[in-house]
Amino acid sequence: METQTSAINYLPIVFQMLVALGFVVLTMVLTHIIGPKRKSKEKLSPFESGIEVVGNARQPFSIKYFLVAILFVLFDIEVIFMYPWAVNFREMSLEGFDGLIEMLVFMGTLLLGFIYIIKKKALDWE
Amino acid sequence: MSVLITISLLAILVLYLGLFKAKKALLPVSILGLLGALSLSFYEWGSYAQPIYNGMMLFDNFAAAFSGITILSTLLIFLLSKDYFERISSNIAEYYTVILFSLAGIIVMVSYHNLTMLFIGIEIMSVSLYILAGIKKRDFASNEAALKYFLMGAFSTGFLLFGIALLYGASGSFDLLEIRNYILSAPQEVSPLFYGGILLLIVGLCFKVGAAPFHFWAPDVYEGSPSLITAYMSTVVKTAGFAAFLRLFLFCFSPLSEFWSPVLVTLAALSLLIGNITAVYQQHFKRMLAYSSISHVGYMLFAVISLNGSSDTSIFVYAAAYSIASIMAFAALILLQRQVGTDSFDSFNGLARKNPFLALTLTVAMLSLAGIPLTAGFIGKFMMFTSALSTYHTYLVLFAVLNAAIGIFYYFRVIVAMYFKEADRHELIVSPYYRLVLGLSAAATILLGVYPELISRLI
Repeated sequence: METQTSAINYLPIVFQMLVALGFVVLTMVLTHIIGPKRKSKEKLSPFESGIEVVGNARQPFSIKYFLVAILFVLFDIEVIFMYPWAVNFREMSLEGFDGLIEMLVFMGTLLLGFIYIIKKKALDWE
Repeated sequence: MSVLITISLLAILVLYLGLFKAKKALLPVSILGLLGALSLSFYEWGSYAQPIYNGMMLFDNFAAAFSGITILSTLLIFLLSKDYFERISSNIAEYYTVILFSLAGIIVMVSYHNLTMLFIGIEIMSVSLYILAGIKKRDFASNEAALKYFLMGAFSTGFLLFGIALLYGASGSFDLLEIRNYILSAPQEVSPLFYGGILLLIVGLCFKVGAAPFHFWAPDVYEGSPSLITAYMSTVVKTAGFAAFLRLFLFCFSPLSEFWSPVLVTLAALSLLIGNITAVYQQHFKRMLAYSSISHVGYMLFAVISLNGSSDTSIFVYAAAYSIASIMAFAALILLQRQVGTDSFDSFNGLARKNPFLALTLTVAMLSLAGIPLTAGFIGKFMMFTSALSTYHTYLVLFAVLNAAIGIFYYFRVIVAMYFKEADRHELIVSPYYRLVLGLSAAATILLGVYPELISRLI
């Protein structure tokens, strides 16, 4: 197997980048040139599936959304870690229960965190 | 490795104590747990010599000694935290927990044997610190400190990670031993990627320890954060940063010292110059301590520049002396801020007449920071200068001696204000906890100044 790589091996990546950039530039330029230009008030307002625009999109909203979202990510990641563990579980369990115990320690730590969240009422909306 | 496990479990325990409204137990439990961790690090001293957890960590004497000093400094800071966090908000347990989590990250930083563990350790420590810098929710300066620290810290972590990636690209491994073998097997044919990696790692680590010209975040963050957290950042975190720095350079990069040593010499000289010159112009004690901490980074870089068998010992002694003296200075600062409301140099006027004990211990701290003989700070500076001279960095040492003279000027301003300027003032109330920390630290500073052998043979 070839172990040494040189700059020439990366040429396909350069082509890929050029094609990607070229496509963006080309379509932007083309639509500006051949597209019709009608500037009425309705045309310039953001498209919201036919519903009329209500107010500004950039307004502060409750911190609770962020809290719930970040907690969701946390426990989502926990599940992601379980996939490679489950795939390799058969190999790990050949030498005793180490693999199982390690996962229990990991999940136990997160469970402690979960109890903390519930107790602190972080998920209570009111 | 039981030190790391003890501290992590202690953090969770403290969190749950807070959850079940056992507020009285928080401080005693944290202190007992840290004492336990401290004795475990003594116990592990000289026991493990093999990398553990698939080569991820190595708990050697170096790691044991540096965990010891970081845990001890945290212990002193916890003693100062009596009645401190209660004034900020009611979430006291969380504050202790976050400090303990960052200490767990620090233990990883001083005992890594794999670059991924270095990264994880630095992240565990930093993320906790971003939170701690901003715990005064309603205080604008504290918010600014947290945001600035977060942006700068995240940016520097990017440099660090890119450096680690380049090292991996060149050597094919994250393991310190294999990286070392890669350099030793063909010192003349080290890939250019590797040199780039070293430079990026220097940038990332210098951000974390606050060396000039990567120091711009330090004064604002140190000033904006609550004083107790600043004490933690400028002592424990700095010690850990240098331990991580030294471990990597001593173990891996020492054969390539001709390449990186000029870079570090420049950084050290810049840190000394910028730290000392700007500290002279400060009117406030806390900001002066922030700039002086930049100049101390310059002195500590000497040990990395002149790598030899005693570099680890000299960094250890210097970090210990600096941490203990800084904690005393911050204890006085907290008392002053709380009871006088300001920390300008004028607010020290006449302190010696009303609070002789506080003034005496603060004098010991200032003398140690300035590096006057018979204090631990002198031994630290002496070891730094001898190691730099042993590698013929004569001009650097000359420059450093000049800077030490400038340092004496601004440290002595405090002493002069306390003893020789008169002012009408009330006596400051020094609680028993503060008396204990101040007394112990002053005694330790003088003891180390007279018998440095007590800790200089630990590594």
